[in-house]
Amino acid sequence: MAYYVNRNIKMTWWERSYIPEILKGMLLTSRRFFHNLFGFVPFFLGTTKERPIMTVYYPEEQVQYPIAYRGRPVLAQNEDGMPACVACGLCEIACPAYCIHIEPAEDSGKQNQYERWPEVFDIDYAICIFCGNCEEACPEEAIFMSDDCEISMLDRKQMLYTKEQLLVPVADLQKRIEFTRNMYAKWNY
Amino acid sequence: MWVDLIITLAKILFILAILVGFFAPVLTWVERKQSALMQDRVGANRADILGFTVLGLFHIIADAVKMFTKEDFIPDGANKVLHTISPVIALVPALLTFAVVPFGGQYTLFDKEVNLVISDLDVGLLFVFAIASLATYGYVIAGWSSNNNWSLLGSMRTASQMISYEVTIGLTIIGVLMVYGSMKLTEIGAIQENFWMWGIFLQPLGFFMFLTASIAENKRIPFDAPEAESELVAGYFTEYSGLKFGMFFMAEFIEIVTIGALMTILFLGAWHIPFLTTATLLSWFDFLGTTGSNLVVMFIHVGVFFAKVVFFVYLQMIIRWTLPRFRYDQIMKLGWKILLPLSLANILVTGLVILALN
Repeated sequence: MAYYVNRNIKMTWWERSYIPEILKGMLLTSRRFFHNLFGFVPFFLGTTKERPIMTVYYPEEQVQYPIAYRGRPVLAQNEDGMPACVACGLCEIACPAYCIHIEPAEDSGKQNQYERWPEVFDIDYAICIFCGNCEEACPEEAIFMSDDCEISMLDRKQMLYTKEQLLVPVADLQKRIEFTRNMYAKWNY
Repeated sequence: MWVDLIITLAKILFILAILVGFFAPVLTWVERKQSALMQDRVGANRADILGFTVLGLFHIIADAVKMFTKEDFIPDGANKVLHTISPVIALVPALLTFAVVPFGGQYTLFDKEVNLVISDLDVGLLFVFAIASLATYGYVIAGWSSNNNWSLLGSMRTASQMISYEVTIGLTIIGVLMVYGSMKLTEIGAIQENFWMWGIFLQPLGFFMFLTASIAENKRIPFDAPEAESELVAGYFTEYSGLKFGMFFMAEFIEIVTIGALMTILFLGAWHIPFLTTATLLSWFDFLGTTGSNLVVMFIHVGVFFAKVVFFVYLQMIIRWTLPRFRYDQIMKLGWKILLPLSLANILVTGLVILALN
């Protein structure tokens, strides 16, 4: 449907002078100006925490990302310092960009011993596309997307994170773990 | 003789210091910060010295350093001489206008009459517009000598716009002249000691037309067609960089102050406080002696004058960040079809009223 603009609006002489509209516009900008100007003063005096302007001073101030945010994937680390990963390789297969490289290690698997764990677990963030498929594929709740998105390096080699760099204590990941459980339960995996 | 020379030099230095040293740099900061506040942003605050940002005031220093250290680029095929001198031609008139603009009245200091104007010309008002028109040459030459299509288009627009609106300004001023009967800016200021003789009451239409036309003269939004960045890259100063570009910019900011000062003197009671005559003020500070009381009143008057100038500067900034740009034909239409007949009618009505009152 075409939209027709009525250009034959009859304006009075006073309206055609545009002075009232100009004054209205100036009043609006002035109001914003003074509102923000005096809104800043209590903030800088430290009496209020809320700044009237939403703009964030980025490097100094950080925004709390929503829990669904997919930052860089990290490995969950159990309380005893071992990764929760069992090196099954499902995330390696699920990864559409082939950025994960796993080399498993095995042991007898007696009581209180780990049977299988990754000897090498590398993620190349230069290749990673942050799709979250690894998190979805993982049967052991071992790999999770974190809210860290500041992964810029001066060299590509530094983008290759090894197991030690990837490990994050499980306690820090509880929110995301709960979120993934809720999300993937919907599809009945 | 020597005392007069020293007083004149002091006045010149004061004007230069307050224009180039205070208004021009601070206005660059104000324009950024004010627009940011109006649009719910934070504004410039990254330049810091030892971790202190002081609300982004150091951006002035950063700007100056940038201007001085940038490459001074002259494009291929440009006329080097004209390209170099045109920023000067644009900047000098802006500064020169202040030679006849009084920023205070007459005071007796140490048995000597001190008039707070650099040069008290009898044709002060004519001088202002004669000099202001000269700035047009700077802009036209800048666009012409740059060897750039956008610059040329911008300078053509500048020429036509400035000439069109100068007509309006000239005719508006005639109304003011008829009311006050003087071209001396100091006299016009002195008459407005009476609150009801302020130009804004005697010439209300002239006030609005003068404001509109002088913003158009200064080529600021909403009349910024000559440097419209979305149409012509930057208009006449597209090919300028470094300090030459800075001079164009400085000319613009100084002209804002000049317009504010002229509006103050012609329409808003110059350096006078409403309902407070100079004699009353002097009698308040009588206990300080002649020189002392005059000195105090002088500082009060200069302060009041610049407060009014700051108000007009603020008004122009508000207008600049509120209104969208006029289309080019709309600018011409406003200038020739609306403001020109209105200013002629203003003269007619003013004349009839003066005739009736006499």
